Amino acid sequence: MPTTIGKYFRLTGLMMKNCLVREMQFKSNFLVRLFTEFMWLVMQFIYIQVMYGQTGQIAGWTKWDMIILMGTNHVITQLFEGLFYENCTKLTDQIRQGDLDFNLIKPINTQFLVSLRYTDYSSMANTSVGLFIILYALRQMGMTVGLSGVLLFLVLVVNSVLIYYSILFSLSIWTFWIGRSNNLMELYWQFGQFSRYPGDIYPWLLRRLLMTIIPMLVVSNFPAKVLIHKMETGLVFYGFVLGLVFVAFTVWLWGKGLQRYRSASS
Amino acid sequence: MSASSTTIQPRSPFHKYWVILSTRTQEDMSYRANYVFGAIFRFMPLVTTIFLWYAVYEARKAGGGDSSIRGMSYEDMVAYYALMFIARGFSSVPGTMTDIMKDIKDGLLNRYLTRPMNYLMYQIMYRLAHKLVFWYVALFTFPPIFFLMRHFFSHTPRLVEVIAFIFSLVIAFSIGMLFCFIIGILAFWFLEISTFLFVVMMIEFFLSGHLIPLNILPAALQPFLTYSPFGYEGYWPCVILMGKVPQDHLPALLGIGILWIGILFGISQVMWKAGLKRYSAVGG
Repeated sequence: MPTTIGKYFRLTGLMMKNCLVREMQFKSNFLVRLFTEFMWLVMQFIYIQVMYGQTGQIAGWTKWDMIILMGTNHVITQLFEGLFYENCTKLTDQIRQGDLDFNLIKPINTQFLVSLRYTDYSSMANTSVGLFIILYALRQMGMTVGLSGVLLFLVLVVNSVLIYYSILFSLSIWTFWIGRSNNLMELYWQFGQFSRYPGDIYPWLLRRLLMTIIPMLVVSNFPAKVLIHKMETGLVFYGFVLGLVFVAFTVWLWGKGLQRYRSASS
Repeated sequence: MSASSTTIQPRSPFHKYWVILSTRTQEDMSYRANYVFGAIFRFMPLVTTIFLWYAVYEARKAGGGDSSIRGMSYEDMVAYYALMFIARGFSSVPGTMTDIMKDIKDGLLNRYLTRPMNYLMYQIMYRLAHKLVFWYVALFTFPPIFFLMRHFFSHTPRLVEVIAFIFSLVIAFSIGMLFCFIIGILAFWFLEISTFLFVVMMIEFFLSGHLIPLNILPAALQPFLTYSPFGYEGYWPCVILMGKVPQDHLPALLGIGILWIGILFGISQVMWKAGLKRYSAVGG
């Protein structure tokens, strides 16, 4: 058993190394992507700045609370995009064109392979920008977070990335049923907007929706609330259970989808 | 005195552009399903806008503050962001900059230069066709959404405002198009401008009032924002229809817009001529 787990870790390392080598061939592209993401953050910052120019707090959130949320959301989305996004978009093509065959014959869990094959290093590097924003905001607020808080934050971040992964991966493998799903990926960008702001601004029904079926509030608000000491313990458990349910659903759906896979030459 | 039926009727010099427009429109029409999907999801950001600004205005009221921000009530604010979709539907010409850049860098421009037509006119017709299909689809998707949001529109526009609004949309398209053209043909001088392109688009996004209504930005910036060409790509059409521009200011406002079209057109022509001299037609 330990050797199996070791094999998966080793393989992950190899795939990441392979991508790093590829990335190094296009250094300017890497810098451009770093820069453009940074510009988006600047725009978001200006937007927040203008809104807080009108009022001291929004739905109980101060400006620095909001900036911590922005930083947290950035860390999570960039981590997700770095590890999984490219794989999800590539997967739809693989299913449609029958290229999945090459992955199915490899002696390893196929879902693992297709999910982690490509790493986007510019997004990974952007994660540090998000962390920097969080640290800066905490300093401005004069707030400290204990070791347990930091750990809980990190675990919740991982949980959020997995929820994002589950949603996007499920959307990609709809391709098994409908033959194409490029438009569905657009949903990621559209739903992502909901995670940028505090859940408290939404009305009851929408908030419930964003906590369950489209858990955009779980992914960003939960970890951010840990840092600003607004998180309730009960919700932490809820977040993890939800993450587990989403990942389990994805694994199940993947199995169902494979049964419908028609391979290349059919 | 031969039979007139055999002679070729001289066609108007604009006929070729009409052909480009109609062919492009037909091509785009075959992808209208994509447009429908885009047209519906395009409005998603409005949901967060509605609730976010509601929270801002509520917090102001709770703090005993003014219930309007620089003359804009909560309803105005939401109406502004909704109308922005119409304005941007005219001023934004996605892909134009990068397409022009590519034509120049890859030497594809040759195939247009050898034809008896103006490249700028060709690009305008191409994008106009795109806009026609966009608005054909929008005729079905925009009205239900604006109907749902009707209580945010507190101002009933007067006839003169509607006319000025339509006029401002034409200006919006012209400025948007010319600006993209100017930035695109910078590729004559610079090989790698994709980063620069992104910065330019961000600046346009911001200065057009797409992100934040221009009037709530710092007062020190106002003189610049008022006279910049970018305001015509978003802010001005919106506030004209909302009745926020005094009626006697309308002619001057639209006049400055037309002046900007003239200036941008002039710049584009000078740059185009200078650029062609440098053009090396690589790969052609």
